[in-house]
Parts: sequence; C-alpha cells; structure tokens
Amino acid sequence: MTGRLALNGFVALVAAFLVLPILAIVPVAFSAQSFIRLPPENWSLRWWGAFFNDASWRLTLLASLKVATLTTLTSVIAGTAAAFGIARSGPRGRALLTGLFLGPVMTPTIVLAVALYSMARATGLVGTATALVIAHTMLALPFVVLTVGVSLDGLDRRLLLAAAGLGAGSSRIFRTVTLPLIAPGVAGGAVFAFVTSFDEVVLSIFLAGPTVKTLPVRIWEEIRLEYTPVVAVGATLMLLLALSAAGATRLLSRK
Amino acid sequence: MSAVQFAGISKTFAAVSALRPTDLDIAQGEFLTLLGPSGSGKTTLLNICAGYLQPSAGRLMVGGRDVTVLPPRLRNMGMVFQNYALFPHLTVAENVAYGLEARRLARDEIARRVAEVLRMIRLDGYGDRAIRELSGGQQQRVALARAMVIQPDILLMDEPLGALDRQLRKEVQLEIRRLHADRPRTTIYVTHDQEEALVMSDRIAVMRAGQIVQIGSGADLYERPVDTFVAGFLGESNLLEGTVRNITNGQATLAVPGLAQTFVGRAAEGLRVGAVAAALLRPETIRPQEGGLEARIVERVYLGELVAVRLKLASGHELCSRRLVGEFDARGVVEVGWDAGAISILPQASV
Repeated sequence: MTGRLALNGFVALVAAFLVLPILAIVPVAFSAQSFIRLPPENWSLRWWGAFFNDASWRLTLLASLKVATLTTLTSVIAGTAAAFGIARSGPRGRALLTGLFLGPVMTPTIVLAVALYSMARATGLVGTATALVIAHTMLALPFVVLTVGVSLDGLDRRLLLAAAGLGAGSSRIFRTVTLPLIAPGVAGGAVFAFVTSFDEVVLSIFLAGPTVKTLPVRIWEEIRLEYTPVVAVGATLMLLLALSAAGATRLLSRK
Repeated sequence: MSAVQFAGISKTFAAVSALRPTDLDIAQGEFLTLLGPSGSGKTTLLNICAGYLQPSAGRLMVGGRDVTVLPPRLRNMGMVFQNYALFPHLTVAENVAYGLEARRLARDEIARRVAEVLRMIRLDGYGDRAIRELSGGQQQRVALARAMVIQPDILLMDEPLGALDRQLRKEVQLEIRRLHADRPRTTIYVTHDQEEALVMSDRIAVMRAGQIVQIGSGADLYERPVDTFVAGFLGESNLLEGTVRNITNGQATLAVPGLAQTFVGRAAEGLRVGAVAAALLRPETIRPQEGGLEARIVERVYLGELVAVRLKLASGHELCSRRLVGEFDARGVVEVGWDAGAISILPQASV
C-alpha cells in the first residue's frame, strides 16, 4: 500500500518535472507587468494586445503558418509518393531507401543548417520562404514517409485485386480504395509535418531574413533584446498549436 | 464451344513449378470445382483465370476469345475471395455497387441492381450497414453479391466458405447451389473440402502437385477413382496394399501380404501386372458376414442412424466400416466380408 503510494508520488513528480516548466509560460502571457515574474501579480490581456497590434509579430505568425502549410503540402505529396515507392521495392531497396529518407532527421541539425545555408547563399535563396519550405520539408518528409508507410503495410493487397477484378482502373482504385484506407496515415503525417515546420528553430535562424521570419525565430531574437511577456504570448500560441495537433492525431488514430 | 478453355496453361515461380501444363474445358453454365490439398495449384489456376497471375505458358480462352494477357479489369469475371476482401470503408450497398460504378452505369440503374441483388441474398435493408457490423455469413453473402451483380461471364470462388462454422457452411452451400440452379452461370469453385465439392459441383477436378489428377462428376470420382490419392481425397476409404497378379477383361487380381485371399476388382487405368497397387474398399461395403474374415472391433462410434466401426484383421490390417445401426451389434470378434463388385484396384499415386 505504501509502496504503491510512493510509486504514484514519484510518477507525479516526474510528470511535474516534465510538464511544469512548459505550463509555467502560460500564466506569464496573461500578466499585467512589463517583466516576466512567476506568478504574475496582476492579470490582463495586455500582452496579447501588444502581440496582435504589432504588425511585425502578426507577420511572423502569418509567415510561420504559410511556411508550415506549404511544407505540409510538399512533404505530404512527396512523402506519400516515396512511401509507395518504398513499399514496392524489394527488401534491400527498402532498407536503403528508408535509410535515405530518414537521413535528414539523423543528421545533427547544425550540420544540416550550415550545409543548407551555403546552398541557399549560392542560389540566392537566403531570407526567402522558398528556402524555409525546402529546409523544413527535409525534416518533415521522413514523418510522412513513416506514417504512410505503416498504413501501406497494413493495406490488404487483395482489396486492390478485388477492385481491379470488379473493373476499376488504377486511378479509380487509388482514389476509391487505396487513398481512403491510408488516409489516417497521410493525415497523421500531415500533422507531424505541420508541427515540425511550425516548431523548427535552428534551420530557420540560418535561413530566415528580415522579410521572412517565423515565430520561433522572432521569439529567439526578441528574448535576446528585451525579456517581456510578449514572448510568452508567442510561446503560448505555439503550445496551443502543438496541443491541438496532438489532439488531432489522437482523433485520427482512434478512427 | 466451351465457356472457358485452358490450353496448356502452366505457371512456374522461380524455377518451381506451381502448375504443370494443364488443359481444361468448362462448359457454359457449368459449376466446376477444383479440389485438392493446399499447394496443389488450384488457387494458382483460379488466379490465372481471373488475370491476377500471368501463366508462364499456354493460352486461356473465354467464350472463344483469347484473354491470356487481358488485365483483370477487362475480363468481366466475378471473384469471391477467401476472406471476402470487402472494402472496409464502404457500406454494404457501396461494396455491391463498386463494380457497377467502375462500369459507369447510370445512378438509378446501379441502385436498382444493388437493391435486386441484396434482395436475392436476403440482405435487403442492410444496404447502409458498415461491413464490420455484419456476421461472417452475411459478409460472405455480400462478397457473393458484389461478384454476381456485375453479371460476370464467369464466377470465381476461392474457398469462400473457409471462414464459416460448419452449420453456416452447409447453409451457404445450399444457398450457392440454389442461386446457381436459378440462374446457371459458369462457375469455378476452389476448395479443399470434399463434401463441399460433392454438394455443389457438376464436375470436380481433383488436383495434386500442380496438376489435375482426375476430372468428372462426384459419382465418377467416388466410384471410379484413378488412383489411391483420389480415392483417399473423396470419401473415406480402406486401401489394402499389395501386388497385382494379373489383369483380365478390366478386372485385376491383387495379392495382399498377410492375407490368404486375393482381391478381385475393377482395374484402374495404368495398372500393370507385378506393380504395387491397392485395393479400395469403401466403408459402406464392409459388413458382418458369417464365414468371412475374422476381425476384432477396435472402436465403435455411434453416428445417429449409422455406426462407424474400426476393425482389425488378424494380419494387422485395419478396416473402417460404416453401416446402419444394429448391423454391428456384437462386440469383440466378428466375421466380416465385403461386396465383391464394389472393389477397385488402383495404382499408387506417384508422388
């Protein structure tokens, strides 16, 4: 009995250790003070107003959403196609291709950042949304390849034979059988891709410029200049998005 | 003209022969069963017919047209898969309508034909159900409906009743037979269940090791099997191994080591004097007979109107008998005989 109690207590402590620092940022965003202090002495939406009335913050939020959306689009299309290719290749090609696609996640991010920066400089893409989308796609693609790959592995091939036997051509089969059945994997990959891009800092710091700046980059810059609760607003927004993404994947996997 | 004609069709997987060159003609409206153990090539033959497998050699003619290289979607065949392969994300009606939509029929025509076929399989009112809400037997019928609604030239079924329990299997067997009798459609049915084959088929092709060993009606196969394999696969059989002494006028004499008397019976084709062969005695032909061979009753199983008895001869041979209850009342040692006219002498199946 006491052993059980001690165990529960320990688990609670570990959970608190993991979650509290993250949750602590939320009350700060609703503080009335001009500096970050926990807990805030007075509550207000002052910093939310400051965030959304400042055109530069709004722009970074929009830039983040735009880059994340484009990244999701490109990595879902390319990743789904890649997953099909991997599923069709033999056992050796399969291992090779999977390794290749997982490469960018295994590479230290800073190495990737330096490499991409030099490429972007050479092509004049530094500071453009294109550069960010390309970089983020490299990181997001593997998630799509993996989630779609799992869905494809679970797809009963006889369903495709049955559809063909009933007179369906390959595009009809893809549209009416394959795609609906792997949709949870595609959607899961899309959520991962979006979050990966929205959350990405290192590559973005290297590749962002004055005109295109994502939210995490702006928070990072802001925090080095002045330490006001407006960064907490930005962080809370990101937290909200991550939580809704987690909720979305749960809903999708339950289906 | 045959509805389906396999001409020298064979299939080799990586140097392993799955189907040896096979000729097979199926008549219009015929219900043909491919019967055999797993690995005998029956599903390979079916998949070649459906177009899911390309034969390594030979030609497949359907209605006089060469369809050997035609893709499955252009063959107009209805396939019922072993585990049905129903689309899990579609409703019952959508599953049934799938082949009609692929044929781009008008919406009201599709609705009419789906409703009609659902009524035929007694699932009207189930159109909006999800597949997972149906029982195994209902799913089986949906699979059948999906294959039949496209009015296929040929209906193909790959062990369609394998996943059902015994009682349900019998019901569906009769249902399939009823549907076939109502509207005869050329059907190729694959099973390893001899009873199923006997109940439903016009003809049965017994397959082993990638080839058809014998083809004929159930009665043909049961009464005149070509070898010990077919005899063992259809019905219960007692096979007594021995040597062929002579063959005259289609009657062979077999000497069985350990038994004083010889067995005379119909000589199967390919039987040679001096070769090892077996005498086939069906269980229902073995009965108590005064003055017959002495046998000990090892086991007696009551089957309702019949009783199954396992007998052991002094020579050590075992015989199974199935007779009406009351005929084998005695216990211990009995004297048994058999109907002399019902014996076949069969060559050993070559492995």
